[in-house]
Order: sequence, then C-alpha cells, then structure tokens
Amino acid sequence: MSARFIAAMRVLFVGGIISFRGLFNWLNPYIYVPTMLVAPIFQVLLFAYIGRSAAVANDAFYLVGNAVQYASIPCLFAMANTIAGERWTQTLGIVLATPANRVALFVGRSLPVIVNGGFVALFTLAVGARVLGVTIPAGAWPGVLCAIAVASASCTGLGLLQAALALRVRSTAVLSNIVFGVLLVFCGANVALDAMPAWMASVGRVLPLTHAIQACREIVAGSAVGDVLGLLGREAAVGGVYAVLGLVALRFVEDQSRRRATLELQ
Amino acid sequence: MSILEARDLRRSFTSTSGMLRRHRKETEAVKGVTFDIERGEVFGLLGPNGAGKTTTIKMLITLLLPTSGSASILGYDVVDDAREVRRRIGYVFGGDRGLYERLSALDNLRYFAELYAVPAREQKARIGELLELVGLSGREGERVEGFSRGMRQRLHIARGLLHDPDLLFLDEPSLGIDPVGARELRQTIASLRTQGKTILLTTHYMFEADELCDRIAVIRQGELVAEGTPAQLKQRVTAGSVLEIDTFGGVQDRLERVLAVPHVRSATVDVRAQAETLVVALDSGSDVTAAVLAALDGIPLGRVVAREPTLEDAYVELVSS
Repeated sequence: MSARFIAAMRVLFVGGIISFRGLFNWLNPYIYVPTMLVAPIFQVLLFAYIGRSAAVANDAFYLVGNAVQYASIPCLFAMANTIAGERWTQTLGIVLATPANRVALFVGRSLPVIVNGGFVALFTLAVGARVLGVTIPAGAWPGVLCAIAVASASCTGLGLLQAALALRVRSTAVLSNIVFGVLLVFCGANVALDAMPAWMASVGRVLPLTHAIQACREIVAGSAVGDVLGLLGREAAVGGVYAVLGLVALRFVEDQSRRRATLELQ
Repeated sequence: MSILEARDLRRSFTSTSGMLRRHRKETEAVKGVTFDIERGEVFGLLGPNGAGKTTTIKMLITLLLPTSGSASILGYDVVDDAREVRRRIGYVFGGDRGLYERLSALDNLRYFAELYAVPAREQKARIGELLELVGLSGREGERVEGFSRGMRQRLHIARGLLHDPDLLFLDEPSLGIDPVGARELRQTIASLRTQGKTILLTTHYMFEADELCDRIAVIRQGELVAEGTPAQLKQRVTAGSVLEIDTFGGVQDRLERVLAVPHVRSATVDVRAQAETLVVALDSGSDVTAAVLAALDGIPLGRVVAREPTLEDAYVELVSS
C-alpha cells in the first residue's frame, strides 16, 4: 500500500473521529438527550396518535417511519456543521490549506455522523416500540439495524451536499430545517407513497430514507433482509448519488472560493 | 534556487452594492509584487493595515488565486501545483482562534499531523519535540479553551511545524499577546531561525522585525516600496537624524509649519496617552532644532531628544511618504 493511500485512510478514520470530537464536544448529555433521544419519541407519539384517531394505519407504520426519518436530524445538521463549525472556530482556512485528500477529509467526517444517526433511529425505534406496545420480533432486529445503517448513510450523503453550501453561506441550520420538513412530508414516514399524488411520490423516490423506511417496515412485518435487498440497494444508490454530488460541489465551491476570495482565513 | 519566487503578483477584488442598480467596484489589493526568499532566511513583510500583506500571503499559501503574475515555492507553482506547495509550507496566523477549543493541545496536533500525513510511527516523537520547542510540554493534555493567547500562539507554531515544512508563514504571530508572551514567542521564532528554518514573517512591531529578520520588504497600498536588510533600510534615514519632541496638544495643526522648515524630511505624530510625540526626520548635518521649536511656538513642550534613526523611523518614512 502506498504512503498516500495509508495517509488518506488515516484522514478518513482517525481524522474523522478527532474532528467530530473537536466540532461536537459541545454536545453534552444536557443537549444530546433532549434533542436526540427525547424529541423523536414525541414525534413518534404525535403521528401514532394522529394515525390512531384517523384510523389510517397501525402504530408500527408511524413508529418505523418517524424513527428512521428522525435520523435526518443528526445526519443533516451535523454534516452541514462539519463545515459551518469550522467557520465558527476559524479553522476552515487552516484545514483547507493542508494537502489532505479532500474525499477522505469530508467522507471521514461523515462516518461518526452516520453512526450517530443510526443510533438515534435505533433508540427511537426501541423506546417507541416499548411506549406504544409495538412488538418487533427479536429476529427482525439485525435486519432493522441493517436498514437503519443504510438509511443513515444515505441521508448523510444529502448532508454532504448541504456541507458544500456551508463553504459559501454561514448559516446552514435554516436549510437543514427545510430539508428535514421535506423529508418528513415526502419520504413516506407518515403518508404511504401510494396515497400521495404521483408527483409527490416521484419526489419521495429520489430522496434518501424513502426506500429504507419501506424496507424497515417490511422487516418489522416479518420479511427477511434478502426480500428487501432491492429497496436497500435503491436507498444506497440514492444516498451514493447525493454523496457524489456533495463531493463534486465541495470541490467546485472550494475552487470558487480561491477564485472569488470567499474563504475567510481568520 | 530561491525557496520562494514571487513575480509581479497581482490580486483584484470586485465588490457590488445596491439592490436594484448594482454597482461594481474593482479594488486592486496587490499591485505587482516581486520578491524572492532564500533558504534559511527570515524574511519580513511589513506594511500598515490594508497594505496587502495578508492577501499576498493568501496567494502564496494557495488559498487565493492571483489575478495575474506567478509565484512558486521550491519550483512548485502556487496555482497549478497547490497540493505540492501545501505539503511544503506551514502557515500560522495571529489571534486566539484557529484551534479546536474543546480538544486538548495534543489532539489538535494529532489531527493536523494526520492532515499533513505525518506517519503514525513518527507522530508521537514529533509532537513531543514540538511541544518542547514551544514550551508547552506538560500542558498537552489540557483543553485549548483554558490556554492564554500566548500559549495558543505557540501551539499554532507547533501545528505549523508538524510536517517539518520547508517554508513557514507567520502572519502577525504576536498580535494581541502580552509582552511576556510576545517575548517567549520571539524566542521560539529565534530558535527556529537558529535551526535554519525559512520563515516569512509579517508583523507590526518594528523591534520584532529588526531582531528577527534577515531581510525586510515594506509593502504600501499593494506595492513593495523598499526591500533590504534592516541595516539597509535604516540607512535610508541614517543619512540624517531624528528629533523627538514631546508635546501636549495642538501639534497636529502645526505639522505643515514643521514640514516647511528647511532640511525637515518628514514629520509624524505618535500619540501616547496624554502626550503626543512629534518625530521629525532631518537631513544629515543640519541643525534646525531651533527652527522646528519655533514652528511649535505656543504649544506646551516636554522632552526634546535628538537620536539615531531606528527601523521604525525608516518604516514610518516609507509608508507615509
């Protein structure tokens, strides 16, 4: 293995973890627990009880939909903040003045984000199931874990695209909130794609989470992982496209920043 | 071969204003800067705020593309070979930001060691050496948020040296540091100089430049107006002498009268608390103290001293002429 490859791998894994700690150390339990662990339970309960009142679908439908959809909070906000946070600490110029491989640098930052997003969704699903009395068979959990991991990675791909914007604009939280709302409506978390107007369903199919939510629902309902590989493959492909677009956008915006002097050093 | 060659570097910025009728304004921040830096040299780039120092440095460290002209470091072009240039340079700027506050000093250094591809087996020893060099040994486990400005600045220098760069850019490193911290920082830079490091230093403190730099270039309004050793720059005014007069109010109104006195080359006012010190550069061999004092007639005066010119006198004359 070449020294450059090893260096890139170290930036990817070791650098990714250190930078996550550097940028998100403010996320202490007093902030993390209410925003990442308690708030999604409220969202699950809200939609589950609306569903019960309207008698549209069972609790499992809303539980899975909202638990997986809530992974978008850490995935979108944290990923955008991996760049926006650098502007705040005024380390962005110093980081971009290094010769580090940019793909390894930015993808490395996404790895802890994916793990965190997956944890939030899994925790919400487990606690929400307990609160609502939904039974998820023990044998379904490995498949659920797999679907959530793909969902979290796919959504982080969209977050990477948002991160590129953070090289140009300071506040990314507004956009993250809007995208969260779009995912809530379009990815089938609370309204099945079949029940949506065709154009909305079409939009949903090119968004992350949509296919993973459907796969997760089928696994909870008793399907084997092998039966939902097509859905998971489509989810991964959607996320992959966003990730590639994100990396291309990061490259383009960094290049434009050098031309147009939009990077502040200090 | 020079370690750095800058040739006719230029950079313009376009700004727009107005909502409906957009007005574009073009500002030329750097207007054709040319200079070389030799290996092992400490090169000072001095100039007032807004003179183009940081813009020049941004171009040299590959964060900004020149509008025209060229620059190369060890033969690598700063535009076309940006990644090769980045491997060979270190960059440190002044101020207390630019570090991950909630990480320890050690983790900050470990992170940048990864970004600069310092092999894992060498990192520990290298970081240990640098902590020793900048006087932070024993403090590496502490979070940076508890560090003083001086400690942060020394940590910045350690960060800039992690990959043993051929050329280190120090952009106003002593900015905002207390005198003790600034002295420690100068000692650190002096020890780098002793080790043969090539450094481009910008600073507003002339005594710092005089103490540390082998050669100095003065930049004013985007153009280099002088270049040479500190001694050569002082020579520009050592052909004469300097008269310092402490005054207490009203001296600004008399500047034109002072400048009209024969053999007066320049006159500037240095405001210090209640007192204003008039610094007058005189032609050599001239004794016009009485005429200058006459021009200040009616103003309360304090100490009057004739002395040899300093680098600061040379600098003030260069940037205010």
